[in-house]
Amino acid sequence: MDRYRDFSLGEFVWDKSFRNWVLNPTREDDETWQNWLAANPDKREMVERARQLVLSIRPANASLSNPEKRKAVERIVERLESRSSDRSENSYSPWYTGRVVRFAAMLVLLVGFGWILWLRHQQPKVIGYDQLVAAANTEMRETVNTNAQPLAIDLEDGSRITLDPGSKVSYLAHFSIKPGGDGQGTTRREVYLSGKAFFDIAKDPARPFFVYANGLVTKVLGTSFTVRSFANEQEVSVAVKTGKVAVYSREDPEATEKQSSRELTGMVIEPNQQVVFVRKTVKITKSLVPEPEVIADAGPAPHFEFDEAPVSTVFSALQSAYGIDIIYDKNVMDECPITATLTEMSLYEKLDLICKAVDASYKSIDGRIVVEGKGCRNN
Amino acid sequence: MKALTRSEPRLTLHLEEEQQLWREMLAGDVTAYEHLIDRTYDLLFHYGTKFNGDRELIKDCIQDVFLGVWEKRDALNPEIPPKPYLLASLRRRLHRLASRLRMDCMDYYNESDIVFDLEFTAEYQLIESENDRLLAARMTEMLNELPKRQKEAVFLRFYNDMEREEIALVMDIQPQSVSNLLQEAFKFIKSHWKAIVSLAWALSF
Repeated sequence: MDRYRDFSLGEFVWDKSFRNWVLNPTREDDETWQNWLAANPDKREMVERARQLVLSIRPANASLSNPEKRKAVERIVERLESRSSDRSENSYSPWYTGRVVRFAAMLVLLVGFGWILWLRHQQPKVIGYDQLVAAANTEMRETVNTNAQPLAIDLEDGSRITLDPGSKVSYLAHFSIKPGGDGQGTTRREVYLSGKAFFDIAKDPARPFFVYANGLVTKVLGTSFTVRSFANEQEVSVAVKTGKVAVYSREDPEATEKQSSRELTGMVIEPNQQVVFVRKTVKITKSLVPEPEVIADAGPAPHFEFDEAPVSTVFSALQSAYGIDIIYDKNVMDECPITATLTEMSLYEKLDLICKAVDASYKSIDGRIVVEGKGCRNN
Repeated sequence: MKALTRSEPRLTLHLEEEQQLWREMLAGDVTAYEHLIDRTYDLLFHYGTKFNGDRELIKDCIQDVFLGVWEKRDALNPEIPPKPYLLASLRRRLHRLASRLRMDCMDYYNESDIVFDLEFTAEYQLIESENDRLLAARMTEMLNELPKRQKEAVFLRFYNDMEREEIALVMDIQPQSVSNLLQEAFKFIKSHWKAIVSLAWALSF
């Protein structure tokens, strides 16, 4: 330490041991320097000045917070651990050179890539009429409507198909006989459709009726409905006139289960509702048909004449006539009396009028009508 | 010098600890590996940011350095000092990256992007006397005017406690060149500032 006796201020500032004491003091260092200062009190002032200079002049460092550093360190170790797990495997088999392992890994990767590409290639494949008919593997009778008028086809079970121009259907000549052996095959009625057709299906709960239209399967027990499924269109739609039908996608993982079930499972649509199936995305959405009609089995022609009737009476009349759920807040809306003649109007015109009268609005959501209003207490 | 020799073991102990971590890490000890990263990360990060202002890029490069070390740990010498080795790896990596970028977009990146760029600052509130504040301002100014390679040598020597050989390793030059750089640096400061006298001690390696 004797050399420090003659140190100038600048020499102290640039002395490594001195700097170490100032910048990273340890107990030993501190002891050494305190002893030296006690022995050289005349140097105390210079040492303090040098200390301040050392502390003050620093490189401008980008700030690195502790959490940020911690995260970075952890990231490295994580990466390492994911790597070393591969490494430890081949270290047990030292006769395998790294090259062999690498080659194998590459092969696995290539096969994997190939598989992914294949999957990607498969996925957007949209199922069409021709493939479906070919896959059915049984002798089919095909009817094509080349006329300008709709064509009626009577099936042997009493059902009737009204085929639009430019559409075609394939179906078994005899529903009752189907070579299956296990008896299961005889319980089905199946039709393949390309284009648009209206189906009026004879009721037979023991034998569900299936319409295959591109990717969409429609299952019914006995109803009437329209299926629209043209090969060049991206959407398939099913609209129900009477009864209930169930629809599901062929891609549905539970498709076979839904097919064999005696009940209508899947998305169930009711009169005046329709579903639209987007072929590419395999997505089914339910909505109301564009022009809901009064359902046939609702009894004698309903009359829509109201005189100071509460809104709930009006809505329930509409509900039973069209078979569409109308959702509204009874407590709020029932204060509003309605006097109106709503015959000769479409459902939407009726709703427009009612909502205008009671200062409400409606939306069609998921095949139902939702009415929102503030009530009429103040009117 | 008696007192000084007493403090030497501490320094050696400190370095010995790092060397020990390095050895354990090369033998495959992940805990030692993490400790070593933790101990050297700040230094590497701050050093890296002197070459490139992109924090995330620096972090990625540090990560690559450490993953690279782990990958070829069988081939690495357990007796080389880890800090200079890591700094040198980072420096090489940043240079490679910069020259690649320069090739990709000719005009955008120029030589100045890959050189050491360090700014010294003075925190005046740490200094009591007005006179010494002026001194600090002057000294900072001088340091900032140093040529970049001299500045880098000064930074490693006085702010990161490195020996001549270690600096040579990091900067990929001969140890004699390191001495020259440091001597030139102080000649420069002295010639501008007569008040700083006789810096011989600082330069006597």
